[in-house]
Amino acid sequence: MKHWIAGAALALAAMTGPALADGHASYPERPIMMMVSYGAGGATDFQARIVTMTAGNEDALGMPIAILNRPGAGGRVGWNWFATEAEADGYTLGAYNVPHFIAQSIEGGVSYSTDDFEPIANWGADPAVFVVGADSDFNSMADVVAYAKENPGGLTFSGAGLFVGHHIAALQLEKAAGVKLAYIPNNAGGAGAMRAVIAGEVLGGVNNLSDAFRAQAAGNVKILGVFDLERNAFLPDVPTMKEQGFDIDNASVNFRGVMVPKGTPQGVIDRLAEVVPTMFENARVQKRMEAGGSPMHIMTRDEVLAMWAARQKTLEALLAGL
Amino acid sequence: MTSLPRSQHIVASGLIAAVGVTIAYISYTQEPADAYVFPRLISSVFAVLAIWTFVKAVLGRTKVGNGISGEAMLRMAPGLVVTLVYVFWAAKALGFYTATTIAFFILVSLYDPAPHRQLKTWAKRIAITAGFMLVMYGLFAQLLNVFTPREILF
Amino acid sequence: MGGLDFLFYMGDVFTPINFGLLLLGTIGGLILGATPGLSPTMAVALLIPFTFQLEPQQGLILLGAAYTSTVAGGAVSAILLKIPGAPANIATTLDGHTMATKGEGAKALQLSFLASAVGGLFGVFLLIFLTPVLAQWALAFGPSHLFWLAILGVTVIGTLDSSSVVKGLLAGCIGLWLATIGFDDIMGAQRFIFHPSVSGGINVIPALIGLFAIPQVITMFTKGRSSDDAEIISVKRHPIRLAFVEVLRRKTALTIGTITGSIIGLIPGVGGQIAGLVAYDQSKKFSRESEKFGTGHSEGVIAAESANNAMVGPSLVPLLTLSIPGSPTAAVLLGGLLIHGIFPGPDLFMNYPQVAWTFIDSMLIGQILMCIFGLYIAGLAARVARVPHAVMAAVVLGLAVFGSYSVQNSMGDVYVMASLGVGMYFLERFGFSAAPLVLGLILGPIAEANFIQGSMIANATVGMGSYFFTGWLNWLLILIVLASVSYSVWMEVAQRRYTTKDDAVAKEEAMS
Repeated sequence: MKHWIAGAALALAAMTGPALADGHASYPERPIMMMVSYGAGGATDFQARIVTMTAGNEDALGMPIAILNRPGAGGRVGWNWFATEAEADGYTLGAYNVPHFIAQSIEGGVSYSTDDFEPIANWGADPAVFVVGADSDFNSMADVVAYAKENPGGLTFSGAGLFVGHHIAALQLEKAAGVKLAYIPNNAGGAGAMRAVIAGEVLGGVNNLSDAFRAQAAGNVKILGVFDLERNAFLPDVPTMKEQGFDIDNASVNFRGVMVPKGTPQGVIDRLAEVVPTMFENARVQKRMEAGGSPMHIMTRDEVLAMWAARQKTLEALLAGL
Repeated sequence: MTSLPRSQHIVASGLIAAVGVTIAYISYTQEPADAYVFPRLISSVFAVLAIWTFVKAVLGRTKVGNGISGEAMLRMAPGLVVTLVYVFWAAKALGFYTATTIAFFILVSLYDPAPHRQLKTWAKRIAITAGFMLVMYGLFAQLLNVFTPREILF
Repeated sequence: MGGLDFLFYMGDVFTPINFGLLLLGTIGGLILGATPGLSPTMAVALLIPFTFQLEPQQGLILLGAAYTSTVAGGAVSAILLKIPGAPANIATTLDGHTMATKGEGAKALQLSFLASAVGGLFGVFLLIFLTPVLAQWALAFGPSHLFWLAILGVTVIGTLDSSSVVKGLLAGCIGLWLATIGFDDIMGAQRFIFHPSVSGGINVIPALIGLFAIPQVITMFTKGRSSDDAEIISVKRHPIRLAFVEVLRRKTALTIGTITGSIIGLIPGVGGQIAGLVAYDQSKKFSRESEKFGTGHSEGVIAAESANNAMVGPSLVPLLTLSIPGSPTAAVLLGGLLIHGIFPGPDLFMNYPQVAWTFIDSMLIGQILMCIFGLYIAGLAARVARVPHAVMAAVVLGLAVFGSYSVQNSMGDVYVMASLGVGMYFLERFGFSAAPLVLGLILGPIAEANFIQGSMIANATVGMGSYFFTGWLNWLLILIVLASVSYSVWMEVAQRRYTTKDDAVAKEEAMS
């Protein structure tokens, strides 16, 4: 029996050998897995499932993409696994969240940085917004900052964790307004942080625009400002931070996209970089994303490479003082 | 509880106490201190309880737990060895389905009381293994689309 | 949302396509739920892609039915194989599996399905009639309250399935410590990483499979090649009528289970995982036959399973009224709604009554279908107990390996599962049990994260003392904690039990 197995193994190796050498013309030959470093049902997971739903179509990859969740510690668990253990064979993709993973790599204690990943394409950009409870006395960012000036370190506000987009937005606000705030990271992510605002456990919060938009529609919160360069199509009435007199750029905007581990064959990267953006442009995908209140922002591999490099610089400067 | 092997209890609770003291030591010495507030609390309670259990075992006042008889050790040893080799080496090195087929077949043959000399016994064992693997393949590979390591065959 | 609107939309459940989907969701959910490693959250997430092709209403019928029946399906593997499919089913293994090994598997399964249906229906009715009231209750739990709630869970540890309070607490501490391995959730610091397999922390599901299934496999190994005829269990038939009588006779367990499950199910982030264990512990304390718990006592199964399913309805309250998912499964359901452009919230029942009410109705009908189907297969499924131990050991081992791998497609999880399992076998031989250890593993992160969040808020506002020790809810929880601790101490001092669980089972068998 042993000889037989060994023989079969040799035969298989002989069969797969040439396939690997011929420039990946036949890629992909089996279903692909995409790792999401947040839990099932979170915004990243939900969007990842939608944007990859057409992968099995003949004009796309021709093979389905299955989502695999590896949540924990604000994404660190998943990205650490992706950088150190994921196989760079083109069958393991990952979802990235910028600025989260870049900020975490600058902070340290993780085994990844922008050098360990190869971006494929970007699908979405979700700005952070400042929310307060529906019955809150705050009606503008000026009210919030005035309160913070009277109570240094006493303005509690929630966000999804440390060294994620929300935290970056919080740091920018502290710096631009020249006040000390009490940022309370929530272990249950954006949903937990939003709950804390609605329940009145904290005075305000930084949250995703897409989630805040829904909570506002449900009458639970007021949105006071957007941490982006311009107003968002979903919330045309909400002013940006800059309009309210705070010098804050779009460094905290949560860019979501697809990447592969470093060392993935160039042929595979090229093929993915060519096909994946067309998947995002699919009309059905666009319709579902729109229905779910998720802002899309499609970028190609080269654009993402430039964006990563720019973020790396901004974040290094912002986090240097910590 | 006279049959209770006191020395076994001393060794077992001693090991647990050692673990408790070690993690307490780690918790109090590692940085950043902020991240170790909770582990310090737990490991302190852990260490105290573990030492208490150890002292009770040394004094021979342990009341629960039957320990392990030598006979049971001998009986479980082959199965345990197959299990450990299967989980920690074969599953990854040979691929899940190949390794599981082999481990399943060996375990069934090892512990099946039917006589080894009859051809019928072996046929039955092979049939059971094949049936189980078919169900696993159908459930995990086909229905749930789980991509397990596949080194040899499938 | 009005009272009896749900009746108005009941008809929609019974159109051929919808009812077909409901059946599919129920039966598929039972099978997925009974598969080790597939928690209800995973099972529902797996079904989401199928709903892309369906109308919103149909998609939610499928998801609602699947959610209900995966929770109940977990009891099947918990009872027959002693592999709890999800944390919710831990308490079911304690008495349910013992019953199965005594040949009463059919009875245990019937009781679990009936109790599930009673609890489940009660929970869904709560969702229908009391949602606005309950929504406020779901928001009442802030970090300080969740912290005390976790501490309350820890106090349960000492008396849970353990013959020695000290060893129970020690097992709980081991679990709490295991939970701190990996990245800490708030600071992101790495702690106690002694092997790359645990660098991402210890995932609860593989740990659960290992801690329960592997000791059982090794115990079967220790039986050797025995061909004792006495070893072969005669599977007792159990008429369904008697199961109904039994469930109705155990009113205390059923009531405690249902109410505990409903209340705990509401609390975001805690609910589902510990509802069964807390209900089990409470009904043990209130029962007149508390010494029989853990020896295959019907009250244990009834309390655990009614609590498990009672939590399903209330766990959706925060999602449907406030648009905040209160549990991981609710988060997945939120995704299922958003894909179709439906935003849950107070207006949901006004804007999309057709979808919202049909979804709730499908959970009602799903409970009943699940119960009927479950009762039907119980007698057949119970024959698993007759499988020779050689085959059983190999089957459980194979399922444990595949199940723990499939949670995150990770070999590391399989190694963790096997290491914890082998360790647990030896711990069990020395008087420790798996249930308190797992409870520690679940409660650790809840207690820690809420303590740190609470102290951050407290330091920025009113100070630690008044944040954690004032307010009626804090006082109430502290009071319950103190009562629970006193009870455990009293148990230890007044009713010293000198036997192990094995001895208790033997004694029970001798008496009957």
